[in-house]
Amino acid sequence: MAKFLVLARGQGTDPRMSPEDMQKLIERYRSWTERVARAGQLVHGEKLRSPEGRVVREKGGELVVTDGPFVESKEFLGGFWIIEAPSYDAMVEILRDSPHLASGSLEVRQIEEMTPRG
Amino acid sequence: MTDDAVGGLVDHLFRHSAGRMVAVLARRLGADRLDLAEEVVQEALMQALTTWPYRGVPDNPGGWLFQVAHHRALDRLRRDGVLRAKLESLGAGWSAPADPATPSVDDELAMILMCCHPALPRPARVALTLKTVGGFSVEEIAAAFLSRPATIAQRLVRAKRQIRADGLGLEMPADDALPARLDSVLDVLYLLFNEGYAAHGGDNLVRTELCGEAIRLARLVLAHPSTERPPVHALLSLMLLQSSRLPARADEAGDLLLLGEQDRSRWDLALIAEGLTHLERAAAGDTITVFHVEAAIAACHAAAPDEASTDWPYVLQLYDDLLALKPSPVVALNRAIALAMVEGTAAGIRALEALGRQRALARYHLLPAALGALWRRAGVPLTAARYYRAALALPVSSPERRFLLRRLGECEAEPASR
Repeated sequence: MAKFLVLARGQGTDPRMSPEDMQKLIERYRSWTERVARAGQLVHGEKLRSPEGRVVREKGGELVVTDGPFVESKEFLGGFWIIEAPSYDAMVEILRDSPHLASGSLEVRQIEEMTPRG
Repeated sequence: MTDDAVGGLVDHLFRHSAGRMVAVLARRLGADRLDLAEEVVQEALMQALTTWPYRGVPDNPGGWLFQVAHHRALDRLRRDGVLRAKLESLGAGWSAPADPATPSVDDELAMILMCCHPALPRPARVALTLKTVGGFSVEEIAAAFLSRPATIAQRLVRAKRQIRADGLGLEMPADDALPARLDSVLDVLYLLFNEGYAAHGGDNLVRTELCGEAIRLARLVLAHPSTERPPVHALLSLMLLQSSRLPARADEAGDLLLLGEQDRSRWDLALIAEGLTHLERAAAGDTITVFHVEAAIAACHAAAPDEASTDWPYVLQLYDDLLALKPSPVVALNRAIALAMVEGTAAGIRALEALGRQRALARYHLLPAALGALWRRAGVPLTAARYYRAALALPVSSPERRFLLRRLGECEAEPASR
């Protein structure tokens, strides 16, 4: 099984959303997670705190720290999952019906295994 | 990470937790900080929405929400430089995060009583109860009452302003003031239920949810010893008995069915049993309310195996009682239908035609619809058809329109039997 990092970008959710609709959306994520468990394995997931962040660079021997957002984009990085699956094709099948796609995009990247053979 | 496949969240957990959390927080913060309570609760729900998809649903979702809302409230108060005493009152009242399985009846009841305060205009009571106690959003309330969100939002802002200006609080009313305050609550619940009942089977889902919400709130009122009173049992009984028929009220095509046409095996027996139990408890007092009589009528129908074996003379007598308590043309119309079952169609038609001379019912489609039904039963389909056409010319919902059109078609196809 290969490991994949799934980055979830989106525009955030409407703060006026009704409690009932919020629960329905959470239920959709929950049943998606259950489908992930059937096709592969959900290893970990984290939400990233609000869109702010820091970028750290070195310029002329000086440390330069700038505030995020890092990319000029309407979509910010909201969180990520690490999912085990056999292949990119399998990952695309898993992501096909993610509720996240209703309000944002998903970027999936295979994680390089640290084996001596490389 | 929770990824067990066993069941999801409890139905309406967010909606009901929202109401419960606002009640618990506002009771400690004071009614003048109702907005703050609502904001931190909404933030807690949003935090769940943005976190749980990644981390999974926590083991105790309700407790998690309570804790987040509580912390947010403390943060806000500290930031606003609120007195230490207020902070402590919030902390002390919160020894452990409230378990969602243990309803905070005191707090929720106090909140219902305030939202239904007779000093507030009636539409404001309804909107405030749904928003603050029920956890409905402004958009949902607007959809339920076929109104615009901006109108509902405005109504809520004004109501909260009045709560602050009049100093309406979240204390339990004194014993002598309680009956009047309770009446106002029952009035709102009755209105919510009827709105939902009228819309049931339609395509407006939020409206139909009003029935369930009215029943939930009535149960909540009954859960507190000070408000566990006969009229509340009567109203709950009425709502349960009416709800028992909801599964049979429409056929497979979604068309409305009359009481006599319904498949009574589809009535919900558990709801009927519970409704009858509450009707018995409602009899404990020495006052008869509209709810008592309406529940008794509903119980007559629920207990009868079919339309013919219904105790119509008793139903008629109950309608006479109801008319004395609540003289309304709509009650008089229903009484006329019961009269037709007892004394025959001619008597029913005479009573309905007398009502037709009243202006109040001039635009009420159920009057010509009832006349159509009785003329048809009397074997005069041509006259019946004329009344069904008159009913169709008045404003009616789309399921009712289909119903009336079907009846009209049947009358037009039927030869006159005399």
